[in-house]
Amino acid sequence: MSDALDRIVAGNRVYAQRTSEHDPNTFVEMGRGQAPEILWIGCADSRVPETTICHCKPGDIFVHRNIANCVHADDLNVAAVVEYAVAHLKVKKVVICGHTKCGGANASLADADLGVTLNTWLHPVRELRRKHKAELEQLADDDARATRVAELNVQQGIEVVKQHPTVRQAVRDRGLTVHGLIYDIPAGQLRLLDDTRATGGSGLWTPANH
Amino acid sequence: MRLSVRDPHARSAGSRAAVRLFIGRGTPVTLRASQPSFLSPHPPTALLHIVPRTSTLLSLPAFSATLTSRRLAAQSQHRPFSSSTHRPWIWENIAEMAAEPTPEPNSQALRKYLQQSHDKIFESNKKWAEEQKVKNPEFFEKLSKGQEPDYLWIGCSDSRIPAEAITGLGPGEMFIHRNIANLVCNTDLNVMSVVNYAVRHLHVKHIVVCGHYGCGGVKAAMTPQDLGLLNPWLRNIRDVYRLHEQELDAIEGDKKYDRLVELNVLEQCRNVVKTAAVQGSYKKNGFPIVHGWVFGFQDGRLKDLEINFEKMLEDVQKIYNLTE
Ligand SMILES: [Zn+2]
Ligand SMILES: [Zn+2]
Repeated sequence: MSDALDRIVAGNRVYAQRTSEHDPNTFVEMGRGQAPEILWIGCADSRVPETTICHCKPGDIFVHRNIANCVHADDLNVAAVVEYAVAHLKVKKVVICGHTKCGGANASLADADLGVTLNTWLHPVRELRRKHKAELEQLADDDARATRVAELNVQQGIEVVKQHPTVRQAVRDRGLTVHGLIYDIPAGQLRLLDDTRATGGSGLWTPANH
Repeated sequence: MRLSVRDPHARSAGSRAAVRLFIGRGTPVTLRASQPSFLSPHPPTALLHIVPRTSTLLSLPAFSATLTSRRLAAQSQHRPFSSSTHRPWIWENIAEMAAEPTPEPNSQALRKYLQQSHDKIFESNKKWAEEQKVKNPEFFEKLSKGQEPDYLWIGCSDSRIPAEAITGLGPGEMFIHRNIANLVCNTDLNVMSVVNYAVRHLHVKHIVVCGHYGCGGVKAAMTPQDLGLLNPWLRNIRDVYRLHEQELDAIEGDKKYDRLVELNVLEQCRNVVKTAAVQGSYKKNGFPIVHGWVFGFQDGRLKDLEINFEKMLEDVQKIYNLTE
């Protein structure tokens, strides 16, 4: 067990050394402050590390991650993150990213008892599943259903974020935009969710020729 | 939405690859890619793969807008919680890119441009995916089967501290929660569900609470100002101050904040230890172990606050024992 810990301590040494070798000013610059352009609200899932999968570097993305990338209207944690990022850091984009093979979305396909904490947290996602029952039943298997629930949950999150007073103001005053993404784990690829109200589409746009 | 990709290999060493994203009516986002070896010992999992829908895209008025570095710079003038707004290389990069001619909206040249930029990112991504498969044939298959992370990381949302990058871990290795000032509040269903899931379902072996010196959240919390929605969240930090008032009052200047950052991490570790999930699992399995760390920007290193987990658990259980 201590091996696992040694590994990340050693990993950090490599990171610190390589970073200062690459550019000795990196940490001086970093110490001065942050100016990220993106707020990322993603899943806590270990397979979706935002900075790595977006080929970015430290300082680029302000991050909140929770179980199934939920944005509940009554959640102070995420509300504080949004407020800080939008009002004080003045990010330009808010991105909500769900993913395929999501444990939280999968658990929301049924009503298994996960303990009162997780049951309560996932309740709104399970409600989404109930609301879209007919559509979900059409899909081939639970994998496809979980992906669709993840998409619906991202769309729901976007609706909630857009109602945040500071976000509304920033959208009006300085063109802040809110976007939905789905990260496809088996493919290692990000997809942009369509704005359903604008297009009447299914929500997920996949390039036709691939 | 417009997407353009710069080939890192086509440019001089030390320059950065950049992806520009033009989404909707807003200003574009610039994603800069650094050399993978610089970011972490692991290669990136994926290239950014966002593809515009041509029909939507061509109708957007913002599409033909030319970006200038001035416009972007002007928008980031006021950032009260960031001690610096000056990152010269970013503006340099944007200025350079803004000089590129943008094809006319609805033109043939534009369609060609879109197709090319679209194809290019697909090709790079395909190439990369193939490389992963050569190195490790089961890479994606294994990832799609599920996750078995050893660690849960509870850190600050601060953009400068992406947990996996600063610890050299790859996808699938660390379960992550990040919020303002890495707080673990008893009544916060968000963080509590993360701890629950990580301990009871993923059986993580270590829980790391990681703060960082120069934390804007901690500074903001101690600012005598009404911060609206942030008040109730940041109140927790003032409570940490009150718990350690004597010690902190004896310290002058920036050192005081540094110590508050450390004490905040220690208190949040204690909050993790107070949960039934952690107490129950430790009694039954002998894990997880809780660690308190602080990241320092001066050298990029993690400092271990060396908490004695067993002692902390014992102390906590005098009052907060949730095991049977
Ligand atoms: Zn997930
Ligand atoms: Zn912070």
